[in-house]
Amino acid sequence: MLDVNIRLTKLEDKEYLIKWLLDEDTLKWYPMSDRREVEHASTIWMSYINKEAVYTAEHNNEPCGCCLLYVSNIKKFAHQALFAIIVAKEHRGKGIGTALIKKLIDVAKDEFKIEILHLEVYEGNPAISLYKRMGFERYGIHKKFIKDKDRYFDKIMMQRSL
Amino acid sequence: MMEELDIRYSFLSDGQYLRKWLKNEEDMRWYPVTDIKEMEDMAANWIGFSKFRASLTSVLKNEVCGIGTLFLMPYKKVAHQCMFYMIVGQEFRRRGIGSSLLKNIINLAKNYFHLESIYAEIFEKAPIIRLIEKLEFVPIVYQDKYVKQNGEYVGRVLYQKFL
Repeated sequence: MLDVNIRLTKLEDKEYLIKWLLDEDTLKWYPMSDRREVEHASTIWMSYINKEAVYTAEHNNEPCGCCLLYVSNIKKFAHQALFAIIVAKEHRGKGIGTALIKKLIDVAKDEFKIEILHLEVYEGNPAISLYKRMGFERYGIHKKFIKDKDRYFDKIMMQRSL
Repeated sequence: MMEELDIRYSFLSDGQYLRKWLKNEEDMRWYPVTDIKEMEDMAANWIGFSKFRASLTSVLKNEVCGIGTLFLMPYKKVAHQCMFYMIVGQEFRRRGIGSSLLKNIINLAKNYFHLESIYAEIFEKAPIIRLIEKLEFVPIVYQDKYVKQNGEYVGRVLYQKFL
């Protein structure tokens, strides 16, 4: 397991997020498909910095992963939250995803009083095994949610109680 | 009655009706709003889709009585489907307005935006479920405890229809 430090995300980390997302093998697991869409999504992602709901993993002071808790402004939804995560391609399989999710769980529970953490992932994504390992269970499937080059992919929805 | 019902594209100014209807305490239960601020935010976001001609307004005898809207997706890979929201003013219910509005929303989605499916995110036991099921939407996802209001948990159901 790689030695990583997890800290609150800074706006300067956005360039890493954009770089990681623009990798073709990574982008296929996200709903965006080009630079414009990635920049749009990254701006939304970074907008949660103000709420202290975004964390960056770094190794040797270099960002290598990031995660985001979509903390809701809507009171009826404030007890649950969706999250997103990304790990730089060259650092996968080294425990960074696990470390980020553990951090998210702690922050969600302790700082935001979240009771249910949930995620959305596209069928075939290798991260599904990580989510299962971290205690997430499938509660739904949205058929044909993604259409990429005329091929459809289902969206799998998973959650766990905190 | 139905001959007097007109359905037109929504105007931004129709947001005033959303604000009025969503303020109703009974209806607030079925939408993600709890107070005036949330209601204002939701109405603004909702009626904003009228700029893309993705929102329809029902008018009965010159009175606005319902609004249905496609929340178009911003990214290409997901642009073949979207969620929709609709509401009919309390005083106009049980007259087929919701049914007519939803049929028009389906038509707009299919024939103008060429969407392949649409879905609604509905709080468990919401009265609109009867209409949604009548128009052959199918429940595809149930998430327990998605909503917490007045200390009580309510699930959400996603209803989808392939067009």
